[in-house]
Amino acid sequence: MSFPELKERHAAATATVNSLRERLKQRRQQLLDTDVANYTRTQGRTAVNFSSTDLVCCRTLQGHTGKVYSLDWTSERNRIVSASQDGRLIIWNALTSQKTHAIKLPCAWVMTCAFAPNGHSISCGGLDSACSIFNLNSQVDRDGNIPVSQVLMGHKGYVSSCQYFPDRESHLVTSSGDQTCVLWDVTTGQRISIFGGEFPSGHTSDVLSVSVSSSNSNMFVSGSCDATARLWDARIASRAIRTYNGHQGDVNTVKFFPDGQRFGTGSDDGMCRLFDMRTGHLLQVYAQQHNNNEPDFPMVTSIAFSISGRLLFAGYSNGDCYVWDTLLAEVVLNLGKLQSSHEGRISCLGLSDDGSALCTGSWDKNLKIWAFGGLRKVI
Amino acid sequence: MAANGEGEGPEARPPPPSMPQPTRTGDFLGKHRLSAAIARLNQEIQFLEKELNELETMETSAEACKEVFLSTEGRSDALLPVTPGPENPTWHRWFQRVRSSHSRRWWTSKGSSDIS
Repeated sequence: MSFPELKERHAAATATVNSLRERLKQRRQQLLDTDVANYTRTQGRTAVNFSSTDLVCCRTLQGHTGKVYSLDWTSERNRIVSASQDGRLIIWNALTSQKTHAIKLPCAWVMTCAFAPNGHSISCGGLDSACSIFNLNSQVDRDGNIPVSQVLMGHKGYVSSCQYFPDRESHLVTSSGDQTCVLWDVTTGQRISIFGGEFPSGHTSDVLSVSVSSSNSNMFVSGSCDATARLWDARIASRAIRTYNGHQGDVNTVKFFPDGQRFGTGSDDGMCRLFDMRTGHLLQVYAQQHNNNEPDFPMVTSIAFSISGRLLFAGYSNGDCYVWDTLLAEVVLNLGKLQSSHEGRISCLGLSDDGSALCTGSWDKNLKIWAFGGLRKVI
Repeated sequence: MAANGEGEGPEARPPPPSMPQPTRTGDFLGKHRLSAAIARLNQEIQFLEKELNELETMETSAEACKEVFLSTEGRSDALLPVTPGPENPTWHRWFQRVRSSHSRRWWTSKGSSDIS
């Protein structure tokens, strides 16, 4: 076949793809007969009612000398690992505010960190395009630093996010600026699978975030600068299970809903969305009202669900931290406007394993712990 | 066409613009890449058609919305002002006196908005 004929075929195939995508979009729209908020209103529910002193900042963790970029809790014993622009990881006892470890990283440009399920090791990655593993029980070197125990190399771009699989200590998934996610065996340091890249169903731009399902540990979801989220089966690298469209900007953050059947996303377009994993339906949009005079509205940098899923915490680039009633899609509190709130962008958030505390990390160099300090009614 | 007013014979007229002639290798690589791109697009077409077929029989969003609603009911949540039980006593640890072994600071009690 000649070059001009091939070009014609390429143009025709591209047109077919675009037309099919448009038909899919319209068909999906027709299937959205309600959203979570409308359904909840038919059940007569009203929004969660917080008084201004209910959710309080009960700890401020100070110690980083640069912006905090990422944090992760252990599953027990109240510990948090945080990563900062200062090129360090700090492990905190969130209850006492003490720092139990401070690790000066070989590569200062760290973007993400995660605790292994057993709490004995941590992983981090960033602009070095690698993921470094530290065993917290290892002996410190001459400089008092914990040595790197493993380096996961293979990404061709920055590592934006990493998460361990909850029931498999040795398996870690990373997301990268090279448009792929990778599943690693941490013990051997080998790549098990690459998700995306050469295959047509992979992301078409930097992948910024990844979240592993707690109820089906083979499934994980990724969010990307291509404005989509994609669902993957860790056993099947050849194709994304589903692509979720709708956002108008980078998807900075993805997090599974506690039931493991839905997930939330947060984007540069200022909105959060709740998608149904199985059907692909958009179940709810969480969008702020914004002043028409503002040319740019704040971007969503990070999200987390409370343990029941009733609350969606969303950190924004302007320092706001909205607490959304997930069911009614209303903002019920703004942690960014409370006394003792952060003084800068919220870059990361996470719930403790028992759901009793929220940790927020900020460009103001601090982490804060928030808990319910009001009068609780148990029904 | 020269517009500078200088007289020019027909043999001096510039030749019509033509595409740069690719080398044989360049042509082969270009065709190879294009073929690969077309193969990927065709695969994408198959996947999109499959998804469209799936949507023909897919239920509407109402069922999933109901599931979201039901999944939050009955689950105790330490951060909610009204929550089903059981209440776990460890939820209160954030407001209990904790002695730090490094300093003799004591965290103040519940209700304070900043305890650092």
